Amino acid sequence: MISLNINGLDVSVEEGTTLLEAAKFLGFPIPTLCHMEGLEPYGACRLCVVEIGEGAGAKLVTSCTYPAQEGLKVRTTSKRVAKARKMIIELLLASSPQSKTIQDLAAKYEVKQQRFRQEFEDCILCGLCVRMCEEQMVAKAIGFRGRGQERSIGTPFDKKSDVCRLCGGCMFVCPVCTLRCTYNEPDKAICGACSNISAPCLDKDKFDDMMCYLDPCAACEIEKQPCGKGGK
Amino acid sequence: MEKLTVIEGLHDFRHRIMSEKDIEYEKPTLVICGGTGGLASGANNVIRAIKRYMVERSLQGKIAIRITGCQGFCEMDPFILVQPGHHLYPKLKMSDVPTVIDAALGGYIAEHLIYKDTKKQKIYENQNDIPFFAKQTRTVLGFNENIDPIRIFNYVEQGGYGAAEKVLSNPDSNWIIEEIQNSGIRGRGGAGFPTGKKWEFANKSGKKGVQKYIICNADEGDPGAYMDRSLLEGNPHMIIEGMLIAGIAIGATEGIIYVRSEYPLAIKHVLIALRQAKELGLLGKNILNTGIDFDIEIFRGAGAFVCGEETALIKSIENLMGEPRQRPPFPIEKGLWGKPTCINNVETLANIPVIINKGGKEYAKIGIPNNTGTKIFSLVGKIRNTGLVEVPLGTKLSEVVYAIGGGPVGEAKIKAVQTGGPSGGCIPAHLFDMSIDYDSLAKAGSIMGSGGMIVMDEDTCMVDVAKYFMAFLRDESCGKCYTCRKGTQRMYEILEDISMGKATLKDLDLLEELAYVVKDTTMCGLGQSAANPVLSTLRYFRKEFERHIIDKRCDAFVCKDLVGAPCQAACPVGTEVWRYVAHIERGEYEDAYMAIREANPFPSVCARVCNHPCEDKCRAGTSGGDPIAIRSLKRFVTDRIEPSIYKSKIEEWGNGEAPKVAILGAGPAGLTAAHKLSLKGYKVTIFESESKPGGMLCGTIPSYRLPREIIEKEIDSLLNDNITIKYNTALGKDVTVEQLLEDDYKSVLIAIGAHISKPLRLADENAEGVYSSIKFLKEYNIEGKQLAKGNVGVVGGGNSALDAARTALRQKDVESVTILYRRTRNEMPAFAEEIEAADEEGIKIVTLVTPTKVIVSKGKLAGLECIQNKLGDIDSSGRRRPVPMEGTEHTIDLDTLIVAISEDTGIEAIAPEGLNLTAWNTIKPNLATLQTNLPGVFAAGDVITGPNTVIDAIADGKRSAIMIDRFIRGEKMVQGAQVKLPQTYLAPSTNGDEPEKSNKRIEGKHLPADTRRCNFDEVELCLSEKAATCEAGRCLRCDLEFTQDNEDENIEISEGVKAK
Repeated sequence: MISLNINGLDVSVEEGTTLLEAAKFLGFPIPTLCHMEGLEPYGACRLCVVEIGEGAGAKLVTSCTYPAQEGLKVRTTSKRVAKARKMIIELLLASSPQSKTIQDLAAKYEVKQQRFRQEFEDCILCGLCVRMCEEQMVAKAIGFRGRGQERSIGTPFDKKSDVCRLCGGCMFVCPVCTLRCTYNEPDKAICGACSNISAPCLDKDKFDDMMCYLDPCAACEIEKQPCGKGGK
Repeated sequence: MEKLTVIEGLHDFRHRIMSEKDIEYEKPTLVICGGTGGLASGANNVIRAIKRYMVERSLQGKIAIRITGCQGFCEMDPFILVQPGHHLYPKLKMSDVPTVIDAALGGYIAEHLIYKDTKKQKIYENQNDIPFFAKQTRTVLGFNENIDPIRIFNYVEQGGYGAAEKVLSNPDSNWIIEEIQNSGIRGRGGAGFPTGKKWEFANKSGKKGVQKYIICNADEGDPGAYMDRSLLEGNPHMIIEGMLIAGIAIGATEGIIYVRSEYPLAIKHVLIALRQAKELGLLGKNILNTGIDFDIEIFRGAGAFVCGEETALIKSIENLMGEPRQRPPFPIEKGLWGKPTCINNVETLANIPVIINKGGKEYAKIGIPNNTGTKIFSLVGKIRNTGLVEVPLGTKLSEVVYAIGGGPVGEAKIKAVQTGGPSGGCIPAHLFDMSIDYDSLAKAGSIMGSGGMIVMDEDTCMVDVAKYFMAFLRDESCGKCYTCRKGTQRMYEILEDISMGKATLKDLDLLEELAYVVKDTTMCGLGQSAANPVLSTLRYFRKEFERHIIDKRCDAFVCKDLVGAPCQAACPVGTEVWRYVAHIERGEYEDAYMAIREANPFPSVCARVCNHPCEDKCRAGTSGGDPIAIRSLKRFVTDRIEPSIYKSKIEEWGNGEAPKVAILGAGPAGLTAAHKLSLKGYKVTIFESESKPGGMLCGTIPSYRLPREIIEKEIDSLLNDNITIKYNTALGKDVTVEQLLEDDYKSVLIAIGAHISKPLRLADENAEGVYSSIKFLKEYNIEGKQLAKGNVGVVGGGNSALDAARTALRQKDVESVTILYRRTRNEMPAFAEEIEAADEEGIKIVTLVTPTKVIVSKGKLAGLECIQNKLGDIDSSGRRRPVPMEGTEHTIDLDTLIVAISEDTGIEAIAPEGLNLTAWNTIKPNLATLQTNLPGVFAAGDVITGPNTVIDAIADGKRSAIMIDRFIRGEKMVQGAQVKLPQTYLAPSTNGDEPEKSNKRIEGKHLPADTRRCNFDEVELCLSEKAATCEAGRCLRCDLEFTQDNEDENIEISEGVKAK
């Protein structure tokens, strides 16, 4: 057992526990978009940063990947953490303003402005779908391509994947709900699952920017048709 | 090659080769750099020429050639170094080669080709005496000149594999690690983690017998850094030896050299070296029968910058996407294929044999505590001696930049050095005294990085630098973690906005806020240091950012969306230079005149006496050629067109009586302001202390530079019914500011200039025969009195001194004229052409002297005692300070002495009560509005700046008119700055591509010195029409970049219409 201190509370956890798990155990909420139980920690969204160490040695680390260490002092809501978290949410909001998840996060952490050039991207490249496909479905149908701004998720050469089993797991885990509607051309679809979804969702242009990020899916709400996997 | 099987064999082999070395070295050897830099500069041609000459003359056996890797002095490539004399022949052409070979064979020096100090013409016979080499400590790089990298014997000859022999004879990891720890060496890759500690961890990591790896990180990707490449290219065996030792120390049996595919020559040389080492039995199974297995493989990276990060590098070797993972666990615990892996930089590994040979404690004596050893820096950018520089850590940055690097290339001063590549920061010139070590650099907001040093001068815009590096990082970020991917993109966007003049001060705060978050929250070193270029430039050059944002100016003339056409941006009054130059080329002289006159009320005056900042910034000049002779072109136009052609429209003052404005001084600033205000309907009264208008224009500028009728004509064209001039009315004596305000003048502009010469502050300065330059010039120019007699001395080096000297020379009783200046000609503030003209006319210029005593006989001047100076340190003006040398006093016999050291405004004595003044006795207005602390009282021209140029005074005059207008109308004085980009489209001339078109700047024509020295005829002559057209045709037309786009669209539309 390893004992450490989180926000002033001492806690003992098993070796190999991450800080995120330890904090959750104590009931401290830490926001995250790229973490999911059962999938390998990845550390992509950076939302789950916490402050460790003291004085000049203090630093921010992602709690989802950092293993609990003996005697470690962790602060999950220090000023530095709050500042960084707000900035990250602002960045998310600037790029994917239509995501309900991100809107909720912004509301919760009182991010009231967005000072960057507005973009309308869908995917935040958290990699949950890639890990889901690889680790849980053992398919490796999708993966990352490109680097930096060019980075994206998809099948090799955008060809329909032979190894995909149309399980829809990728869509299930998506925090900003993008795969559901962006891959509406059956030939290019990652898993082809959108062909199972009812018509309104496929007809993207009809709903312009109102794609089904919202839960329940806005498009389906309008058509009063439950949309397969995503809607309720 | 015979395989060695026992350690003794290696010992014997080495000693045999080392003893044979001396015999081999008796004949002269030509050493040529065949590194990537050398080859790019044409080393292959030189090698070909050498071989051809050797075959022609059958010199085989009499002379040897050695083609080496990079030796560091890349600026001088392609060069030949002749050993054993170490004669360096730089920048050779193929035709020079026979001379060098003959000299080498004959044992003499080819003087015209050997390395010289360009300024002093000093010959350096021995390479090691050249400052570039003499000030370095080349413990690692020094081997390169003696080693042909594809010959293992060359390396062994230099004592190579001696450290390996030592380690193999006693393969106990403890003593090796102890030696490394004693040496104190820190990783040369950038972060500076102690190598000894890393090895200790690696040695202890994992269970006994577990497979371990040692990786040589040669993924060097920083723009401008190439020391790792040069080591791999020039001395691959040293790295191999270092890796072998590291492998034995940590118990690794496999080594991998991770090198990027962009380094083909390095890969080639490493592959050859690996083969040779294996053939010799130094790599492989059971090395020299010691039971040690160690082999090295090479892995070619695809060139992603992020793969230099250790976890990304490991992923890349594992054939996965090259992106970092979160540490811990560190590669030392869980690295390549999950096994303990020790990753070291090329340079670190190259230092290992040195440490083992020297002993750790001995090695630690190099450098300073906690920062031991030498470090190779690649010195690039705006520096004279580009190349690789190896110095002990703790060396001063100024030493590297000035003593070794040779200082700036051109006139512009060095502003900053960017260290550590894209992840590093900029260190400003005032911190150059700092020592170069890991800790000082970190403290200054930069990093050591792999050792890139990019030197920047004043023509470098720091916003642009930050933008460049951010673009690099944005493209090279792997994109895995959100704050790095989006953070770099967003920082780039803000920087782009700033460089385009679209940002606000809030954006600057956002940029800083974001930079700190990116630094704090990213996963790997790339992201954590990605904010450095922004944070360090913001820390030291925040003013430059603010200038971009508030004033919409880029003072380095780099950010093109703010600069537009540099000539226009450089002109204080914003003349559309490109426009009138284009009109001249098209033969439209009236249009050209209009273009000038719209911005500048004194075209003919400026055509003669302007200091033409436009020419200094002309892109034809800054890009390596000669700038366009803009002032001569302006003269060409103004000589052809009458000022009266330009009709200015006078607006009626709307309701009620027009307000009155008083202007003190009828110089260029006062007249410009009066003219501009009168056009708006104000009733302007100018109070002038002299009996003529023009101020300095007619008081001090001699008529051989600026004929009087030109000034008069120009001033006449500016006057109208709204302007009254009262002559012989001086501020303080005849009129006061308070009184004017009481007399219902709504506003007062003080533009009295700087008309009082500063004294030398020596005794007897008031003796007969000693005059101030202003008095001397005014007496002649206004009253016609010739004060100079006999031998005339002029103290000073500015334009005023030159004017006084050349005027004195033209007076009737003068025998000789001598200018006395305290620094050298290079530092003289006067225009170069003036100095040249004075030379031609026979004026003697004595430099490096300071007057110490005025010698008087019978109340009259008899001579001047001076002391000799030498140049010392650089002072606050950026020039080298004159330092008097004791005991060098000497006397110069003089009949007239003119003092022209500087001018003062004299404002202190006559200023209205409560006016804020500076320590230099100038008025201190709000520089944004030109309004002084007294409401309604404005100031313009030399009275704010001290002695300055005509064009700046005109600019001040224009601005003060706008401000006074806003003040009287009760409008907001400070309004947002506007970017002025070229707007009018003028089609480029069609006769542009004539083959006979010259790229040389036109030479202005002058009266011959003999004809002009006795009279006041204008010296400079006007260009001929042909010459002017030709010169205007050289213009690069920077404006087209901004105007042509629209025109293209128009053409498309009109053609589209036609097609229908």
